[in-house]
Amino acid sequence: MTLYVFYFLSFVAIFSALLVVFSKNPIYSVLYLIVTFFAIAGHYILLNAQFLAVVHVIVYAGAIMVLFLYVIMLLNLNHEDEPHKKNLAKIAAVICGGILMTVLVGTLRGASQAIPRTGGDIGYVKTLGRILFTEFLLPFEISSILLLAAMVGVVMVGKTDTKKTTVDINEPNNQ
Amino acid sequence: MNALYVICGLGIFSLVAEVFNLRKWIFFVSLFGLLVALTWVVIDWKAISYFYRGMVYFDHFALAFSGLILLISIFWFWMFRDYFVDEEHRTDKSALVLFVVTGAVMMVSFNNMAILFLGLEILSISIYVLAGSNKQNLFSTEAAFKYFLMGSFATGFLLFGITLVYGATGSFNITEIANFIIAHRTLPRFIYIGILMMMVGLAFKISAVPFHQWAPDVYEGSPTPITTLMSTVVKIGAFGAFVKLFSVAFITFSPSLKLIEQGIVVITLLVANITAVYQLNVKRMLAYSSVAQVGYLLLGFSSDSAHSAGTVFYYLTAYSVASVMSFAVVEIVEKNTGSAHVDNFKGLFKNNPLLAVAMTVALFSLAGIPPFAGFFGKYLVFTLSIGNGYIVLTILALITSLMGVYYYFKPLVAMSQPGSGKIVIFSSEKILLWVLILINIAVGIFPDLAQLL
Repeated sequence: MTLYVFYFLSFVAIFSALLVVFSKNPIYSVLYLIVTFFAIAGHYILLNAQFLAVVHVIVYAGAIMVLFLYVIMLLNLNHEDEPHKKNLAKIAAVICGGILMTVLVGTLRGASQAIPRTGGDIGYVKTLGRILFTEFLLPFEISSILLLAAMVGVVMVGKTDTKKTTVDINEPNNQ
Repeated sequence: MNALYVICGLGIFSLVAEVFNLRKWIFFVSLFGLLVALTWVVIDWKAISYFYRGMVYFDHFALAFSGLILLISIFWFWMFRDYFVDEEHRTDKSALVLFVVTGAVMMVSFNNMAILFLGLEILSISIYVLAGSNKQNLFSTEAAFKYFLMGSFATGFLLFGITLVYGATGSFNITEIANFIIAHRTLPRFIYIGILMMMVGLAFKISAVPFHQWAPDVYEGSPTPITTLMSTVVKIGAFGAFVKLFSVAFITFSPSLKLIEQGIVVITLLVANITAVYQLNVKRMLAYSSVAQVGYLLLGFSSDSAHSAGTVFYYLTAYSVASVMSFAVVEIVEKNTGSAHVDNFKGLFKNNPLLAVAMTVALFSLAGIPPFAGFFGKYLVFTLSIGNGYIVLTILALITSLMGVYYYFKPLVAMSQPGSGKIVIFSSEKILLWVLILINIAVGIFPDLAQLL
């Protein structure tokens, strides 16, 4: 049973991920991306990581997708004013991506040797909370600094200056 | 660890200062706090220990690197006081700079991948914003955006690498990873790709070629104080993390990783030094030079991954002192003449001898001319690589460092040519330049600093 669910979810995830790349309309891409995220959340549940699955749905399928939609709406992407990339760059990108994929597939084929992390309640909030406040106490507290830095950064970038007296001193001299 | 508490607290104080109208005090409190943190580092030298269940490990390596980061940031605050004076976001900027220092200290003292990642992110996010802090200048915004996009991509690589390594070894703790690798002869194959991805992520941060594409544009576009911060504090932190990761966690693989590192060394030395020759903007030239210096650092590290921490530390000390000095001069010239083009340095020897002498000492040190610190840094690196039998690589490094002499001399030649213009500097800047010159010579006289680790 679990195996069939796994295959189904994998199929949905890969198929919708391909559609994200191939659909012409950016809105459709975003919608397919939501499907991909849900499929991956399903994988998390199969791996007994319920908390991660819920967070994944809330953060990615919820918040980040709304952000994506807003950005697409605000940017108003059209096919006409999208800059065309050079063919050489495209070919180089395809080759690099292909090599990376080959290497990843080649190495991950041996993944069955990995040590399985067992334990019945490993993904529950209770276990996670206990680990977070004992073993990972310092990273947990330090991440507040990270959030603070990000928050200050957003305010600094987003706020418009009231006085504009700064002189443009960095005249560029490109070669 | 106490130093880390102090710096975190300082960053938060800067933010609170806005609310309580203590803006005037930020500069002095930051400077004083950094001095206190430096004192803690010195006090802790005798008391090496793990903290928070092996999350961070303040050994001599971490303490020495933290001390260097703190010293350089004290000089930075001293030199670039202007950056906080007549701007609106004074508190935000100083808080972000202090968070950069926090991140760098975390990156050199981590013992767990979680701390490495958090340190890298704290450092990166703050520096992305700071790169774009000159909002009136389009190039500053471009620099911030470019750095942000590419940096997030590199962080993704690092994170994927950490995941794969965790999948193979079952631990985030770098000493446990090292023990696991020694204990298990057959490891899942994906650990190798994981290690490589971590290397890519960190090589981006230290801007080694082929991951250096962002560096010249970002260095040139950002405000000069932030460029200084990137080429010193960020580089020390990232290189410290690189050394710590590959000399502790993956030391068993060092014979094979060495080949990749040496490949990076060869292209870094060639590409960076050759491109630097063609630069006419001194800031851009220094950006390429800082990429090139990474090549020498990596040459030292790859020659003997287990025992090169002292050499790397010495080289980084010499490099960052010279770097602060050269960027300080560039900043003053830029402020007075409007740009950092090499022609704007004309007549500096006559107009302001101290600035010219400081620039000369800095560039001599970067080029590796005795008796300055940079010479002994290069000397130690070359000794290490010859001692391990990498003759061809050393010869290549020697040739590229001769190229370095050519482009470092360009501003010097310009400075000795006749030119007009008056350049004013404050007495605090004068004192700082003297202090830096003396430190540079003192570090050169006492190469025993490399024995510290």
